[in-house]
Amino acid sequence: MKSVFKKAFALVLAIAMLTTFAACGGNTANNTEYVIGLSGPLTGPAAVYGVAVQNSAQMAIDEINAAGGLDGVMFKLEAMDDKHDATKVSANFAALMEKGMQVSLGTVTTAPGLEFTKLSNDDKVFFLTPSASGDKIPEFDNGFQMCFADGNQGKVAANFVNSLSLSKIGIFYKSDDPYSKGIFDQFKANLNDGIETVETVFTAANETDFSAQITQLKDCDFIFMPIYYQPASVFMTQAKGQIKNNATYYGCDGFDGLAGQIDLTTIPQEVSMLSHFDATSSAQATVDFVTKYTTKYGAETLNQFGASAYDCVYAIFNAMKELKAAGKDIPVTISAEDLYTLLKDHFTGDFSYSGVTGTDITWEDNGYVNKAAVKFTLKEADK
Amino acid sequence: MKAQKHIKWSHYINYVVIAVATIVLGALSIAGVLPASYQIILENIAIAITLAVSLSMVVGFLGELSLGHAGFMCVGAYLGGKTVYVLAPIIGEIPALICGFIVGGTLAAVCGIIIGLPALRLRGDYLAIVTLAFGEIVWSIFMNTSEKSFGGALGMPTVRIDRDYLFVIALVVVLLCLAVTQNLIRSKHGRAITSIRDNEIAARATGINVTKYKLAVFAISAFFAGVAGVLLASSNYTVQSQKFNYNYSIEILVMVVLGGMGNINGSIIAAALITFLDIKLQTVLTGELAVLQDLVYAAILIVIVIYNNAPGLKGFREKYNIKNILAKLRKKNFDPSKSRDDEAKWDRVPTKIQMDEVLSVDVQVKSPYDPDKAGKGDN
Amino acid sequence: MEIIETIINGLSLGGTYAMIALGYTMVYGIAKMLNFAHGDIIMVGGYTLFVTLSGMGRPIVGLALAVLVCVLLGVSVEKVAYKPLRGASPLAVLITAIGVSYLLQSLAQIIFTSAPRMVYVGGQDGLGYVVIGDLKIQKHILITLVCSVIIMVVLSLFVKYTKIGRAMIAVSEDKGAAQLMGINVNMIITITFAIGSALAAFAGFFMLMKSPSLTNTLGAMPGIKAFTAAVIGGIGSLPGAMLGGLFIGMIETIAQVVPGMGAYTVAIEFLVLIVVLLVRPTGILGKKRREKV
Repeated sequence: MKSVFKKAFALVLAIAMLTTFAACGGNTANNTEYVIGLSGPLTGPAAVYGVAVQNSAQMAIDEINAAGGLDGVMFKLEAMDDKHDATKVSANFAALMEKGMQVSLGTVTTAPGLEFTKLSNDDKVFFLTPSASGDKIPEFDNGFQMCFADGNQGKVAANFVNSLSLSKIGIFYKSDDPYSKGIFDQFKANLNDGIETVETVFTAANETDFSAQITQLKDCDFIFMPIYYQPASVFMTQAKGQIKNNATYYGCDGFDGLAGQIDLTTIPQEVSMLSHFDATSSAQATVDFVTKYTTKYGAETLNQFGASAYDCVYAIFNAMKELKAAGKDIPVTISAEDLYTLLKDHFTGDFSYSGVTGTDITWEDNGYVNKAAVKFTLKEADK
Repeated sequence: MKAQKHIKWSHYINYVVIAVATIVLGALSIAGVLPASYQIILENIAIAITLAVSLSMVVGFLGELSLGHAGFMCVGAYLGGKTVYVLAPIIGEIPALICGFIVGGTLAAVCGIIIGLPALRLRGDYLAIVTLAFGEIVWSIFMNTSEKSFGGALGMPTVRIDRDYLFVIALVVVLLCLAVTQNLIRSKHGRAITSIRDNEIAARATGINVTKYKLAVFAISAFFAGVAGVLLASSNYTVQSQKFNYNYSIEILVMVVLGGMGNINGSIIAAALITFLDIKLQTVLTGELAVLQDLVYAAILIVIVIYNNAPGLKGFREKYNIKNILAKLRKKNFDPSKSRDDEAKWDRVPTKIQMDEVLSVDVQVKSPYDPDKAGKGDN
Repeated sequence: MEIIETIINGLSLGGTYAMIALGYTMVYGIAKMLNFAHGDIIMVGGYTLFVTLSGMGRPIVGLALAVLVCVLLGVSVEKVAYKPLRGASPLAVLITAIGVSYLLQSLAQIIFTSAPRMVYVGGQDGLGYVVIGDLKIQKHILITLVCSVIIMVVLSLFVKYTKIGRAMIAVSEDKGAAQLMGINVNMIITITFAIGSALAAFAGFFMLMKSPSLTNTLGAMPGIKAFTAAVIGGIGSLPGAMLGGLFIGMIETIAQVVPGMGAYTVAIEFLVLIVVLLVRPTGILGKKRREKV
C-alpha cells in the first residue's frame, strides 16, 4: 500500500509539473496567424446549427486566406464543442484563450451564449455572434450580434400583426427554448390589447406530435410561430387539412431552412417569415453563398446560421482591414484586449458591412444589429 | 492485528491523495502558474467526484438504483445558487458560498427524504423510474419559473466564484463528502446499510430499522448532490435547468458503475478520468471528430462493463488482473488466492440490485440445500 | 366536438407509446432487463424507412425492411452486448444498454448527420381523412389505433397459445426450472428480442406516419415515456403496457389542451407515474410478487 501511495503522489506531482509546463504557452504572443474562436454545438441535437456555423466560418476564412489574408497574415478558426450546454462554455473559453484567441464569433446558440457573454467581458474579448439572438447576449460593450435580437424580432412581428387589423390570432411556441420564449414574450407585450390570442406551447420532450395544438388552433386565420424550422415543418405537415387553407403561418428567422426541409408547394397555407436570409432568394450575394456552400459541404446543413457566420468573419475581416488602412497597428500577436478596444470603437463608429444577410449593416452602441428585417413570403396561400 | 492495520492505512489513502493534490494545486494556483483551463477542469472533476461518491452511497451501498441524482443537484444549484447570488453582495463571496452550501444541500436533502419515502415501498426498476421521474419534474418546474424568480428558459444568473480558488473549495467539499461517506459506511450503521442491500428481509428480521437507514442514506446522498449543484452554479455565470435532465443522472451513474459498484476509490478515479477526458476531448476534437468522441465513449463504456462484469470472462479477468501481473513481475509473495482475498473485502462485494428474483438467488447461493429453492439459479 | 377530437388524438398518441411499451415489457418480462436502447432501435427503423423511401421503395417495403433490420440489430445487440452479462448484476446490463443507446445515436449522427430528414410514409399530403358526421379523423390516427390493438391481441394470443409463447412464460417465471424442462432459454430470449425489435420498427413506422421529421434522437424521449407507460401498466404485463401507453398518451394530450398546462406536460406525466406507483407499487395490472426468503 505504501508503494501505491508513493505512486499516486508521484502522479500528482507529475501532473502538477505538466500543467506548470503548459502554463507557459497560453497567450497570443506566439500566434503566427490571427485566431478566431468559436464555441458551438458540434455534436448532439443542435449540431446542425453548430456545424453550419463552423463550416461557413471556415469557408470564409479559407477564401480570405486564399486571397492573401490581412496583408499576408492568415486567419485561423478554433472551434470547440459546447453541445448546447452552458456549463461546457467556461472550459471552452479558457482553452480558446490558451490557444491564442484574439477575436471571437461567440457561441452559436443563446443558452451557452449567456455564459460566454460574461466570460468574454471578464477577459475583454470582442465577439460578433452569428446566431445567439438572446437579448442579453450583447450585454457588455464587447458583444455584437449579426442576427436580430429576439426582443426586436418579437416587437417587429407584433407591429406587423397590429397593422393587419386581425381580431384573433394563434400562437405556437416552444416554452423551454430561450429563443422562442424570448420572441414570444416581447411579441405578447407589444401586441394590441384588442387582439384575442390562442396560445399553444410545446417542449423539447414532445416535438413530434402536435395534434393537440393543431386542434386548438384550427379556427385561426393567422398563426405566429417563433420557432425553428424543424418543428415548424412537422406542424405544417400535420396541420394539412385541419388548419384553414387561407391561413398564414408567420415565423421569424428560425423559419429559414423550411424550404430545404419540406416541399412548401404541398402546404396549402401562406408561409412567411421575418428574417435576414432566405436561401431561395435570387439576390446575388445569397446565390453565391448558397452555391459555394452546397458545393463544399452539401445542402444538408445550409441555413441562415451559416450565412450569418460567413458574414461575421467577413465583417471582422473588413473592420480589421479598415483599421489597418487607417494606420492602426494590428500585429499578428495583438492581444485580445487590444483588438477589442479597436474593434468595438470601429463597430459602433461609422463602420458598415454588406454581405449575404443584408446590405449596409451597422451596429448600435448596445451591440444590436441594425439592418433591414425583410418579410419573406416563402409561399403564397393556395387560391 | 497486523492485517487490520494494513486495511486501516488503505482507508486513508484517498484522503491523503486528494488533500495533497489540493495543497499542491492550490499553491500552484496562488503562484499563478496553473492555467485557467486546468482550474476549470479541476472544478469539474471535484463536482463529478462529489456526485459520484454521493450516488455511490445509494447505488453501491444501499443497493437502490437512482436515476434522478441530477434532480437533487438541480435543487441545490437553483436554491443554493440563488442564496449565494442574494447574499454575496452583503456578506462577501465565501461566506455566501458557505450559506449556499447549507441552504442548497439541506433543501436537496429534504427532497431526498421525499423521494426516499417511495423507496420504502418500491424497489428495483420501479424505484429507478420514480427517481427518474422526480429528476425530470424538478428541472421542468425550474424551466417554467418566471424570469424574475429563477430565470425560466433563459437560465438563472449566479455568482461566478473566482476560479483561482473555487477548485480548492470544491476539493475541500470532496474531502468532506468522503469523510462523511466513508465514516458512515465503515461504522456499524454502514454494515446495517449493506445488510439491507444484501437482504432486506433478513436485515429487518435482525432488528435493523430499514426505514430510518434508507431515508438517511437518501438524505445524505441528496445533500451532497445539492452541494455539488451549488458548486456547479458557482463555477458558471448562469444555471440552466435543462442541464439536469436524466442524461446527466446517467452520466453520474456511469461513473459509479465504471469505478466498480460499492468501490469509492474506483468511483473517484472514474469520475476524475471521465471528466478530464470529456473536457479535453471537447476542446481538442472538432467537426467530424467531435462526433467520434461520443462513439468512442459509448464503445469504451460497453467494453469495460462487459469485461468487468461478464461471468464468462471471470477466468480471463483473474489471469490478466493488473495486480496479479504486477505481483508476478515482482516475483515475490505472489499468491493469487491472496490477491482475491484482498478484493473480497466487505465493502467491495459486488452489489446486487434487488430486482424480482435476485433475492431468492442470493439465498440459493448461500444455502444450496434449501429444497424450495433448488434449481433457481442461472440468472 | 373538441373533446372527442382530443380523446382521439390522445388515443392515437397512446397507441404509439403502447407499441413501444409492449417491446419494453416483453424484454423485461423475459430477460429481466431494462433495454434502454429500445428507443434507439425505433430510430434505426426510421432511418431504414428513410433509405428505402429515398430509393423510391413503397412504404410497405420500407416497413418490411425496417422490421428486418431492427430484428437483426436487436438480436445482434443482445448477442454481443447483453448475453455475456447474463448472470451479472442487472445494473451492469442496464449500463451496457445505455452504452448501446449512445452508440447507436452517435453512429446515426455520423452516417446521416444531425440534420433532420423528412420521411413521408403516406406521401407528401398524408393519408387523408375519414369523415364521420362533423368529425374529421385523420386516417393515420385510425391506422395507428387499430394496428396497435391488433398487435397487442396477436401478441397476447401468441404468448398464451403457442409453444414458444408458453416457453416465454416459463422463462419469465423461472429460468432455471424452464431450462430443466428442456427449454432453450437463450433461444427464447433471442426470440423475445426479435419480437421486441420488430415492435420497435412498427412503432417507428407509426411515429413517422404522424410526424415526418427524423433525427438520431427520434426514439429517445418516446422510449422514456413508453418505459413510464410500461411501469404504470405493470411491467411484464402485455395488457398493462397497452393500458399504460394509452393512459400516458391521454394525459399528454389533455395537458396540452388545458391552457397554461402545456409547458408542464412532462412533469404531469411523471407526477401521475409517481402517484400510481405509490398507490399500486407494481403498476395497474402488475403481478404482486411475493417476496421469497
